Amino acid sequence: MEQDEWAVTAELAALKLSEGEKKRLVKQAEQMRKLYLSMSSAVVDNLEPTTHASVVKNRVRKDEVKPFKDVDTLLDASNELDDRFFLIPNVL
Amino acid sequence: MPPVKQLWFSALNKPHVRDKYVQRVREIDKKIGSFLSFKLEEQDWTALGRKPLGGVPVAVKDNIAVRGRKLTCGSRILENFVAPYTATAIRRLENAGALVVGKTNMDEFGMGSSNEHSALGRTSNPWDLQRVPGGSSGGSAAAVAAGLVPLAVGSDTGGSVRQPANFCGIYGFKPTYGSISRYGLTAYASSLEVIGLFAVDIRLLETAFETMHAEDEFDQSSFSTNISGSEVKKIAMLDIDPGMLETPVAEAYTQAAQILRERGYVVEKVNLVTLKFVIPSYYTIANAEASANLARFDGIRYGSGSGYSQNPINLIKEARSRGFGDEVKLRILLGTYVLRSGFKDQYYIKAQRVRTLIRKELGVLLRNYPLLLMPVFPTQAFLRADSEMDNYKQRLSDIFTCLANLAGLPALSVPIGINRGLPTGVQFVAPAFGEKSLFDIARGFSEVFPVQFPPGALEIERMR
Amino acid sequence: MNSSLKIFIGLEIHIHLKTESKMFCPCSAHYGDEPNTNICPICLGYPGTLPLLNERAIEHGYLVARALGCRLSNRISFARKNYFYPDMPKNYQISQHNHPVGIGGTIEVDFNDLGAKRIRIHNVHLEEDAGKMIHANDATLLDYNRAGYPLLEIVTEPDLSRGEEAELFLRDFQRLVRYLKVSDGNMEEGSMKCDANISINLPGRGLGTKVELKNMNSPRFVRLALGYEIERQSKLFNSGGEIVQETRLWNENRDITLPMRRKETPDDYRYFPEPDMPSFVSNAAFLKRIENQLVELPLAKKRRLQSEYDLKVEQAEFIHNDIAMVTLFEDTVKSGASARNVAAWLSSDVRKLLNRDKRTLADTPLNASRFSSLLTLVDQGRISGKIAKNVLKDIFSEDADPESIVEKKGWFQISDPNELGKIVDQVVSQNPDVIEIISGGDSKQKSWLMGEIMRVSNGKAAPELAKKILDERIG
Repeated sequence: MEQDEWAVTAELAALKLSEGEKKRLVKQAEQMRKLYLSMSSAVVDNLEPTTHASVVKNRVRKDEVKPFKDVDTLLDASNELDDRFFLIPNVL
Repeated sequence: MPPVKQLWFSALNKPHVRDKYVQRVREIDKKIGSFLSFKLEEQDWTALGRKPLGGVPVAVKDNIAVRGRKLTCGSRILENFVAPYTATAIRRLENAGALVVGKTNMDEFGMGSSNEHSALGRTSNPWDLQRVPGGSSGGSAAAVAAGLVPLAVGSDTGGSVRQPANFCGIYGFKPTYGSISRYGLTAYASSLEVIGLFAVDIRLLETAFETMHAEDEFDQSSFSTNISGSEVKKIAMLDIDPGMLETPVAEAYTQAAQILRERGYVVEKVNLVTLKFVIPSYYTIANAEASANLARFDGIRYGSGSGYSQNPINLIKEARSRGFGDEVKLRILLGTYVLRSGFKDQYYIKAQRVRTLIRKELGVLLRNYPLLLMPVFPTQAFLRADSEMDNYKQRLSDIFTCLANLAGLPALSVPIGINRGLPTGVQFVAPAFGEKSLFDIARGFSEVFPVQFPPGALEIERMR
Repeated sequence: MNSSLKIFIGLEIHIHLKTESKMFCPCSAHYGDEPNTNICPICLGYPGTLPLLNERAIEHGYLVARALGCRLSNRISFARKNYFYPDMPKNYQISQHNHPVGIGGTIEVDFNDLGAKRIRIHNVHLEEDAGKMIHANDATLLDYNRAGYPLLEIVTEPDLSRGEEAELFLRDFQRLVRYLKVSDGNMEEGSMKCDANISINLPGRGLGTKVELKNMNSPRFVRLALGYEIERQSKLFNSGGEIVQETRLWNENRDITLPMRRKETPDDYRYFPEPDMPSFVSNAAFLKRIENQLVELPLAKKRRLQSEYDLKVEQAEFIHNDIAMVTLFEDTVKSGASARNVAAWLSSDVRKLLNRDKRTLADTPLNASRFSSLLTLVDQGRISGKIAKNVLKDIFSEDADPESIVEKKGWFQISDPNELGKIVDQVVSQNPDVIEIISGGDSKQKSWLMGEIMRVSNGKAAPELAKKILDERIG
């Protein structure tokens, strides 16, 4: 059961785990999960979740184009290129 | 101008000293392993003389972008990745004359407290090569402690600056969340982390922070404000179960309080009832954010790919499975899990609410006391592969540091001398934007406990 | 089809917002550039980069939400929607989850013969687009120019009940976004996309099993796909078969829907608040700016064209279809032209020229001042209605003012009695047989003579005067 949940989780996380990794990581993950559950004794239902460390003023960017100067280095960083395209195996 | 700056500038201003310096760094770092890359670039030394940080060599944690230099994050997946831009915080340091001389080793993507989770090298504590420098910014801490640089940049998500600073016997500073732009800092847990600093000297640290602190158009969560500090009379001291701390750490903690009292401060013991929720709340949130932040590493656009695969999803999985180490995989798994539908309320949302609770309690406390004194870590620098200090126990030990991250507060770890051959220290936590109180209190301590260097450290003042 | 079944159709519409730069970075949001030229470390998801919220995108989002009668959020925030796909550089999409720009609107749509109906809007939210994937044989090519384009998603409640309604809703919505100048709203070119949810059930039983339809690249395909699906599901329902909850793709070559390949692990997007951007709070000044950009919406416009200007339904329908046409109409009328006359010209001659050239009004040199001076020339009898049609063609082809076209081509009417008298005399003298017939009492032949006068004068004879002179000459 535990193994199954972690297998689904690994799938969602795009991780392929070897058998050895599964054993090691699931054990540690369960240990941490149990630690997380210790929060259940905190009475917090009336509290808003904190999603940012600080609440600050509105921040927006003016709608202006500023091209990145070094676009070709971004292409060179890729593993496989075809002309100006990034190349990957076919999506079925 | 800080004398430390003057010391380094006047030494490195001479070409033959520069050569000697580079040679000496390489020699020492063979043993320490703080740098993943090191290079002192050509400079206009006349111009540097006039700048506030002119000629000060700076080491930068390898999860912070410096254009044209590698940005490995201590990971296989970015082993050969070169940053195409420079982090705002680093650009500001460079504009002030600081010289980025190298990128430092770290726990992979900032996940760890020992630097043992780096995929790219081993870093030792300059005080004892058998011991870890702490983490995750262990390389930066070790470089400063070994005298290789007087100033280094790290990142603090849950203590990753303060804990290695503590292990290495130097200052480790985590500013208020958002006060230094995160643009260029590879994200681990976005709502918790901030770029931080290591230094051998408080004035140098302060100058560097003032240089870096600014609202940045490339980070909409950054802001600029007047860094203040109220007059400190009363200091809160976290009341800690003695069993929680190793003896030298407990001694340093008591000693710090005693020095404060001697200097006329009122030190009062306080309790934080939410302390027991700090670790679960912190790790739930940090890992959840990490699971998304690290999703971009798929080997398609940059980074190490997996070669051929029959379809793109496998390609991505292969690249990630080969590219990440155990600790990173574990945290991604945990973070993915706590966000899954069906589990999210119980874990992630709960942790965010608990975070609110912790912030509230800390907020009330810091209204009554402008500073909070705490230990940094329950132990001194531990041995490499220490069976007493497994990964789980290391995570539990982040309890004193990640509190400030959950609340976005500034904190500074301060050295309190050497005990049994290893550095000890404490940390102070201030209200948001209260950095000045931290620097002031640390200045006082520096008169009693200046930064000490281990034998064999680089001594720039002798290179003339 | 079993007419006693109740059909529920909801739409999820995505529009590309017309901004200069992308949603979260300052790269150009321009279409059709070389692959991977409008990219930067931010939209390629480089380590250390952070999203930089585009102000205009938020304004556009609020404006559409306002126009759709939504409750505008005082505070908006973004969330990460997590899933891995090669076209999405961060492997999460920044979208809105708990605090979208607008919630719970309604918009009235005229379904022509089916009558007007109020359609409820579930929410309106902002998000970013992904890159483009081009499939070759054994490889896929990735172009990230589109990655990070600002998108606005409009989710309706399942208030539509026929494919025709969905099509008309979409056409009305296209007009709306064009009126508001927030999007081209062009499905064929990809600046607007629409997915549909459909379920059927017995009346009073609520919604049925939801089927999602994708890959419909025009409002017409939306209608056809829904029509097909209603048939398919009704048959299944009536024969006791099971309707599977699934996503189906419209196949425009075969005119059918087909199930999409199913994934091994079901999606779980793991939404959580985007920590890299603070919430945006809409203050009074901001809301006022939105209010100022609001315009009369298409349906109201159509109704007013009919009531205020007394236009025919088809004329109002045609004119309100294009906001540029509406502006031309109203501006021309304002300068003194008769509304019905302007409407008649627009819905016949102008329309023909647009169809001939496959152009939209905004792309032509016709404007209100040219249009109104053309009509004035006719009204003043300086050119004939027939000449006016040629002048209009020349405005389109030569980008010139009517006066100068008429001047250059010598098209002003002949209204000098002497000059015109000579032409009439010429025609009369050349057609003694016709004059004879007219004298015999068949006055109908007079109009044939008028035609001759027009022909000889190259259409320039002032008709009234010519008729008067002709009457004088032949008694």
